Amino acid sequence: MANLKPGSQNTRKKVQVSMVICEAEEKRHRSGVNALQLDPVLDRLYSAGRDSIIRVYEHERFLHGMEHHTDWVNDIVLCCGGRHLISASSDTTVKVWNAHKGFCMSTLRTHKDYVKALAYAKDREQVASAGLDKSIYLWDINTLMALTASNNTVTTSSLIGSKESIYSLAMNPSGSIIVSGSTEKALRLWDPRTCAKLFKLKGHADNVKALVVSRDGTLCLSGSSDGSIKLWNLGNQRNILTIRVHTDSVWALLATESFSHVISGGRDKKIIMTDLKNTANSVVVCVEEAPILKMCFTADQQAVWVSTSDSSIRCWKLPTEKHFKDEAKMPSTPVSLIPGGAAIRQAVVLNDKRHILTKDAQENVAVYDVLRARQVEDLGQINFQEELKNRFKMVYVPNWFNVDLKTGFMLTVHLGQDEVDCFAAWVSARDAGIRDTPEPDHKVNYGKLLLQALFEHWRGVRNGSRKQVALQRSQTHSAYFKIDGFSEVGGRTLYRVLVGDTSGDTENALLNETVPNWVISNIEENCTNKFIKVQFYLQPHSSVPTHLLKQDRLKKPDRLVANDFIQCRKVAEHILEKLLGDGTASSPGGGDADSSTPSNNGYNVDQIELTCNEQVLDPSMDLRTVKHFIWKSSSDLTLYYKIINK
Amino acid sequence: MGANISQLERDIGSEQFPCNEHYFGLVNFGNTCYSNSVLQALYFCKPFRDKVLEYKAKNKRTKETLLTCLADLFHSIATQKKKVGSIAPKKFIARLRKEKEEFDNYMQQDAHEFLNFLINHISEIILAERQQNSVTNNIKSKAAGENGTSHAPPEPTWVHEIFQGILTSETRCLNCENVSSKDEDFFDLQVDIEQNTSITHCLRCFSNTETLCSDNKFKCDNCSSYQEAQKRMRVKKLPMILALHLKRFKYMEQYNRHIKVSHRVVFPLELRLFNTSDDALNPDRLYDLVAVVIHCGSGPNRGHYISIVKSHGFWLLFDDDQVDKIDASTIEDFYGLTADTQKSSETGYILFYQSRESL
Repeated sequence: MANLKPGSQNTRKKVQVSMVICEAEEKRHRSGVNALQLDPVLDRLYSAGRDSIIRVYEHERFLHGMEHHTDWVNDIVLCCGGRHLISASSDTTVKVWNAHKGFCMSTLRTHKDYVKALAYAKDREQVASAGLDKSIYLWDINTLMALTASNNTVTTSSLIGSKESIYSLAMNPSGSIIVSGSTEKALRLWDPRTCAKLFKLKGHADNVKALVVSRDGTLCLSGSSDGSIKLWNLGNQRNILTIRVHTDSVWALLATESFSHVISGGRDKKIIMTDLKNTANSVVVCVEEAPILKMCFTADQQAVWVSTSDSSIRCWKLPTEKHFKDEAKMPSTPVSLIPGGAAIRQAVVLNDKRHILTKDAQENVAVYDVLRARQVEDLGQINFQEELKNRFKMVYVPNWFNVDLKTGFMLTVHLGQDEVDCFAAWVSARDAGIRDTPEPDHKVNYGKLLLQALFEHWRGVRNGSRKQVALQRSQTHSAYFKIDGFSEVGGRTLYRVLVGDTSGDTENALLNETVPNWVISNIEENCTNKFIKVQFYLQPHSSVPTHLLKQDRLKKPDRLVANDFIQCRKVAEHILEKLLGDGTASSPGGGDADSSTPSNNGYNVDQIELTCNEQVLDPSMDLRTVKHFIWKSSSDLTLYYKIINK
Repeated sequence: MGANISQLERDIGSEQFPCNEHYFGLVNFGNTCYSNSVLQALYFCKPFRDKVLEYKAKNKRTKETLLTCLADLFHSIATQKKKVGSIAPKKFIARLRKEKEEFDNYMQQDAHEFLNFLINHISEIILAERQQNSVTNNIKSKAAGENGTSHAPPEPTWVHEIFQGILTSETRCLNCENVSSKDEDFFDLQVDIEQNTSITHCLRCFSNTETLCSDNKFKCDNCSSYQEAQKRMRVKKLPMILALHLKRFKYMEQYNRHIKVSHRVVFPLELRLFNTSDDALNPDRLYDLVAVVIHCGSGPNRGHYISIVKSHGFWLLFDDDQVDKIDASTIEDFYGLTADTQKSSETGYILFYQSRESL
């Protein structure tokens, strides 16, 4: 498999550039944790979830993070005795990792929608992946290990017959049976050795979100959004037991090695252990703070690690015989805890189209600077709406990017989808806080600045540009921001890279293939500036004496065109120069005008007052701000001018 | 002509002929049957007719609108000396052609589009007039220093009281399984149809669960991302008059035009809705069929519209200026065709059901 979708440059879909702003090292999960795996030999816990990073903990201590996905990681499995990890993500890829060293070895792009679930057959070193594209693919891990940059095609077998999105998958260790759960409300079974479709088990009334198969492949447990857990005899294809211990959807299941007990968790935040011989025998293991997404046994199988839609991971002791007999009470606190961080829940781009105000799950408010690609202010727990109001400035800058919070903690910034969108924001260097510019009124473009910084290491291009001054602080911490990928707009990620790595050979070649032409041509130093224009009319106010006007008041004024960042002062200068004539010369001889009002040379710019929709305009306001906040219409702007005495 | 008129009176029987009722055909001005058929159906939706006549009585001299033209037309039918006959809705059609460019020609129009335009337009006229009144009132009362009158949500007009219902769409994210619901108003329900079914079945399908997936995922606020979701639309508030538009004109890509779907869809004389939401205000409303706009022909831009209405217990067929009494059993003829062999058909297109408590 190539790492890039071939021909992506030629397809009609636009390619989008995104970047992620985060800390150099993110030790804590910042949002829900979808998947857990334990390496019992090294006693390491692998966890992954909505912030797209797979993290490795050893005795609750953060070891390293594995970053390469660009969307939620939905499931992970450890294989080859803990040497390798396979991950499934909403970015539609399956990735193969070196688990010990923590780098991504290859990316499988066979799925066409979110990959939701993985299943692992230990004895055969086989992994299956399934997801919302209704497909199940079988991967031979040894083949995946043999992948190199030149030999990167994988053959896969697919299990066909699913009619709806798949949300859960399970295999037994010998790989003799595979089960899928989907919105079809049924379980479907195949023989992975022959890929033959076996049968379908009906009985659930809603989506099936969790599955476990017994070692010998004769029993299966299913957990459903209908709130029930069902035990199935796969030999005679019968439902032998229905367990209703939860008050809401069941999302996570574990079974003890002998299939004597089931441990279940779900939307009701409870984890319950139930005796399969006698389902009346059930014990609440714990009540979590958020819906339960995944569980895994500790090495000694005496406790379970639990992840929820919150970012913390807790370890809870499992009940013993005593607890089942009600002779002892379950502890109310977890055995251990891996604390999570707070996800950003809200992000609003401020009017300057450079700063972003954010609020996280713990109500902390912060300010990010997109150009510097980092947090610039931490405001603590203050009122978000209030702060938003306080920071309101009547300034209009066109949109050139948007923000996405899907990964929960990092701000994902998607740059505009094409030249017009991405390079819409021209601001004066002064306003952008960039000193050391060639001329005082120098204009810079936000989209261009950012792209130049993102690609500065690539192809050894364009350094020493004065325009990058604003970005220098972030350059020293290149881990702060990374190109989160080129993706087809609203589609799949084509490529992702750390900004600091863009000069590498492989990266270089891949970038050559992926970077859209409009980006390349615009980060060249000598590219021409295409300013955004605004069209407007200038009309004299009725108080302006007719004899001062060069043009007849009744004649329709000419339509004017100017760059959208032109300030009203400039417009006033234009009026003074072009529209107001020499009073005495053009005057038809009015008596009162000649002596008291000299020629226009006597007026200065400060005496020209501009109004729009009957509001007086500040000379420093630019035309796009006037159009957006005062004119409030997409039709051509009309400004009135009059002369005031100062 | 005279013999024809007396034929209808004879059919009804002078003793049975309801007093204060008039059955007048409407003259066709060249493909204006789309309007004639809808106007007749609306005229026999009693709550609507009453309100229009009331409007006529209250608004003595205002500037001409589509509503004043409609009121004048209804008034002139209701005040005819003769019991039967035909009338030319000249002023109404002229005004309609002025109001909406699409209708300003002699082509066949879609009766549902016309109904939709008419109902919306009338309610806008009422709202605009009401606002004008309140502005003048406000100026009067301004001296008293009143404020806060402007921000209240607009009170429903009588058009809303008659035709408006509420649909609620419930969306369940398949990831976090949170349900979000959103209400939207409707003046009529547009129903997809299936061969050899009933309107009850089609309404049930209307409320079937739809899965938002692949490129059409749902942006879940709780998950801050696009996820699959299940969505269904159910009726939360049942209107006084339920207008059902059967989607009989399907766009066919291979022909590059709309094709008529003549499927047989049974519409009962009595109807109850089963696709109501759990929090519906009046889920048990029983409806009676009061009028049907029928499309005759093979396509949307050809053919003819007629209407059948129920008045004082018997059924009448209005075909432009012609009015005939028909047997209730003839309604079956307008259900549609069981086979798609024939291109042309006479099929129910817009059904008007009136809730029994308002009859």
